[in-house]
Amino acid sequence: MARIQHLFKKELVTSFGPEKLLSDLTYDKMDIGFDCGGGKYKVTKEEVEKFAKLMGDTNPYCRDESAAKASSYKGLIAPTGMIYIYGLRICWDRKVFIDKAVRMGDYIEFYKPTRPGDIITVKMNVVDKKLTSSGRKLLYIGMDHENQKGEKIVFIRMGFMVPD
Amino acid sequence: MNKILDYIDVKVGDEAPVKSLKIDQELIDNYAHLCGDYNPIHVDLEEAAKTMFKGTIAHGTINSEPILQVLGNYVGTYWPPEGTKVDLQFRSPVRPGDIISSNIVVKQKKPKSFLKAGAGKNTLICDVFTVNDKGTECVRGTAEIVIP
Repeated sequence: MARIQHLFKKELVTSFGPEKLLSDLTYDKMDIGFDCGGGKYKVTKEEVEKFAKLMGDTNPYCRDESAAKASSYKGLIAPTGMIYIYGLRICWDRKVFIDKAVRMGDYIEFYKPTRPGDIITVKMNVVDKKLTSSGRKLLYIGMDHENQKGEKIVFIRMGFMVPD
Repeated sequence: MNKILDYIDVKVGDEAPVKSLKIDQELIDNYAHLCGDYNPIHVDLEEAAKTMFKGTIAHGTINSEPILQVLGNYVGTYWPPEGTKVDLQFRSPVRPGDIISSNIVVKQKKPKSFLKAGAGKNTLICDVFTVNDKGTECVRGTAEIVIP
């Protein structure tokens, strides 16, 4: 039995793409361009505040509405670290991670900030794969994030070492 | 509005202010609630104790958190300026009880005139890494920070 209750708010996430993805996922089947589907994530003020508090993020524009309104952002923005939350939630909802894959690192490109009320669309596909000389299987999944205005938010390329 | 970093004032070797984060099981559990990753290696003390890690470890993305916070705070924009890029490798796991701290060191200044015509922005090329309170490197990589 799990030690903690799962309090992950599934209602903030909707996902799309191939059905029964998890059972299909192996290194050999996931070629470059493989469509891992995607989803939409609603950014709420409640979660922005919760995340900023959890991580001790002192960015005033995440929690101080008057400071945020007076800034060039003209309103609250989400903490930078929340960029991971949108895609990860969809990944776990869709189960796109190969069982026992080990995370190696991330490449990130930043564009527009996210804000409470935004609906972020995340699209995921395999952007690279490598078999090293020592036989390690490396897989890279790209996640493109856009807001409801079609503005690019962030691109994240997650690197995995996958089991045989 | 916060003061925006002036590219002219930055010198190679400058270090961004350090951000430290104390990791405990409550933080890891709450992060799991936010991202939906309830992998036992992060949240199940009994199962995690049977693995090579001998206990729970933080999600890899938590290890990057201090660096991500400092990127925008250092420049003064809080959200990293558009075009900023970071490449991070996870080096060693972070465990409950660890205190991880960011390190961002300017290695090179890349003025806009060195970049493609019409698309150039002043950029700082930085070494970035986090270390825990025992001196072990947890994350290492590079950042190209655009200065607005």
